[in-house]
Amino acid sequence: MSQTKIPVDLILNRLAESTEEVKEKVQKASEVLLGSLETDISQTPNEIVYQEDRVKVKYYKPEKIKHKIPLLVVYALINRETMLDLQPGRSVIQNFLESGMEVYMIDWGYPKRKDQFVTIDDHVNGYMDNIIDFIRKKHDLAKINLMGICMGGSFCVMYSALHPEKIKNLVTTVTPTNFDTDKGLLHIWMKNTLAEKMGPTYGNMPADIMNLGFLLLNPARLIIDKYVGFFENMDNKKFVENFVRMEKWIFDSPDVPAATFKQFIEDCYKKNLLIQSKLELNGKRVDLKKITMPLLNFYGKYDHLVPPEACNLLTKMVGSQDSEDICLDTGHIGIYVSSKCQKEFAPKISKWLKEREGDEITEAVAKIQPLKKNSFKKYQKKIDAKQ
Amino acid sequence: MEQQSDQNQEKETMDMTKMFEMWLKSAMNFWGNMPRMQPDENMMFNFFPKQQKGSSYQAQQTWDRGTKIAGALAAMLSEPENLDAMFKATDTVPEFIMKISRQVWEGYFEAQKSWTERAVRIGKHEKAYSFDDLDQETFKTLQDIYEKEFQRYFYIPQIGLTRFYQERANKAVDKYNLFQSSLSEFIYMFYVPMEKSMPVMQEKIKDMVEKGEISDNYKEYYSMWIKILEGHYMKLLQSPEYSQVMAKTIQSLVEYRSARDEMMYDILKNLPIPTNRDMDELYKEFYELKKKVRELSRKMEEQK
Repeated sequence: MSQTKIPVDLILNRLAESTEEVKEKVQKASEVLLGSLETDISQTPNEIVYQEDRVKVKYYKPEKIKHKIPLLVVYALINRETMLDLQPGRSVIQNFLESGMEVYMIDWGYPKRKDQFVTIDDHVNGYMDNIIDFIRKKHDLAKINLMGICMGGSFCVMYSALHPEKIKNLVTTVTPTNFDTDKGLLHIWMKNTLAEKMGPTYGNMPADIMNLGFLLLNPARLIIDKYVGFFENMDNKKFVENFVRMEKWIFDSPDVPAATFKQFIEDCYKKNLLIQSKLELNGKRVDLKKITMPLLNFYGKYDHLVPPEACNLLTKMVGSQDSEDICLDTGHIGIYVSSKCQKEFAPKISKWLKEREGDEITEAVAKIQPLKKNSFKKYQKKIDAKQ
Repeated sequence: MEQQSDQNQEKETMDMTKMFEMWLKSAMNFWGNMPRMQPDENMMFNFFPKQQKGSSYQAQQTWDRGTKIAGALAAMLSEPENLDAMFKATDTVPEFIMKISRQVWEGYFEAQKSWTERAVRIGKHEKAYSFDDLDQETFKTLQDIYEKEFQRYFYIPQIGLTRFYQERANKAVDKYNLFQSSLSEFIYMFYVPMEKSMPVMQEKIKDMVEKGEISDNYKEYYSMWIKILEGHYMKLLQSPEYSQVMAKTIQSLVEYRSARDEMMYDILKNLPIPTNRDMDELYKEFYELKKKVRELSRKMEEQK
């Protein structure tokens, strides 16, 4: 039997060719990196219409308003909401605007040491409630649409259970509600460590430590392979711009207020109170059965941060008769930034919300007939029951 | 014979004593008369009478007093009984020094003995090594040694005015050591998949060679390696051992930070700057006030 020949000559030739390629690549890369690069994110025009402490609300106005009810988007406290408006062509916000929807988005800001005592209740029943009241008053509406992302989705679920009379439709995306699963590394780690102690020790939970933790979820891909890929495509201007935008977003992390972080780890990750309707905010129980408005629940099949098992129980636990789960073939961030999902995600939400706008009796009407205010509430209850 | 040698020794001692006595007397006479022989500066260079003040007069007075004391001592020592007592005392000095030295040496040897015993105990820990897990067990063993043999020194009760400060400083050092140890183990855990992926990669290449599937594209080998590495990391990160090490590292970090902050507060207390602790108290009050105001505003709105 003849011995297998290792094509050493071919390997060496290939190496020599690669060296040539590398040399050209490096020359081109230096032109790209030293040239002008468009790497700004969150470029869609908006207006700050509300501010309370560190929290701001951005308002995005479409060219033509086709939706009667505006949408309030609540991002997580981890990373920034700018991911929804990463770049032209990959902007969930722009897709919403193109469908004629007015969008409000909460910017949680950068918590300082003085924010360490702010709890989940302060975020949900404090900031969110004030913002929703502001939007309702501005648009003269009894209810608005609410959409949450990741931890922001958990906040939206809590809010909708405590204030169902103010929410018309609820959309949750990659939202962890069931934490009793070992499918995601975060779930395993949070259950077995005392991570909640870090918040009070540092004042707030430091963003740098959280970023490091996220990188350690898959060190091979996120620390090595990602940058190998960058070096291989450094000569491609579009690639570099997209890469830098993503880097800007992913490492732009605010700290998380210590009290919020502590409660989220203890009550959600460790005790899993939310899905059991046992979570309490300032003594008020979050009962998922009180979520009676339509619910659209997105999650990613390959999401390693919030696995499907952490998301897909919600629709079974709420009181809503109109709920839907959508599992997309993507990961945690891919839902918002992948070009494939851009065609599925935002248009689906717009369409779903449009179908459920219904006839809205405004507060203005109720004000005209003050004596019949109670009847307005009864009528509203009937509409809700139908929905 | 012995009696004769004793008598000779006594006679020798007596002669030496007399010689010492005569020397002492002559030396004291000489030094005692020295100041009287010195010419008076004032008389030599100045026709004014001698001044009984100034630094030279004070020096003269001090010298006179010194020589008088020395003279008195010499007179006392020249007495035979006193001289005998002095020589006996000088004989006992070497004995005294020997006693002190013996005690110091004995103390040192005892301390050395306890260090040796400690080293033996450290050596016994090494028997817990299993050669395969040599590296992972190393961290546990080092921690064990530190906690059993060295840590106690940091918790020796302190005494004195600065006892609390010293205790906090010692605690900070101890917690730092524990944190460094945990961190080293944590970092090492991330090295293990790198180490383990190499033999797997080598096996795969060997299989490829045997099957004749060798490629000339280095990217294929890189992709293969990164996949193997990713698989090893996933296995590691899901393991209970990793969770334990991570939990221990976080715990030690939190404890070290707290201990270090306590020590820093002691240092910063002396500087005219507010500390985090001071600011946190203020922030808490602000937070509670704001919450109260919001609550009251909300109630007022509802009542409208």
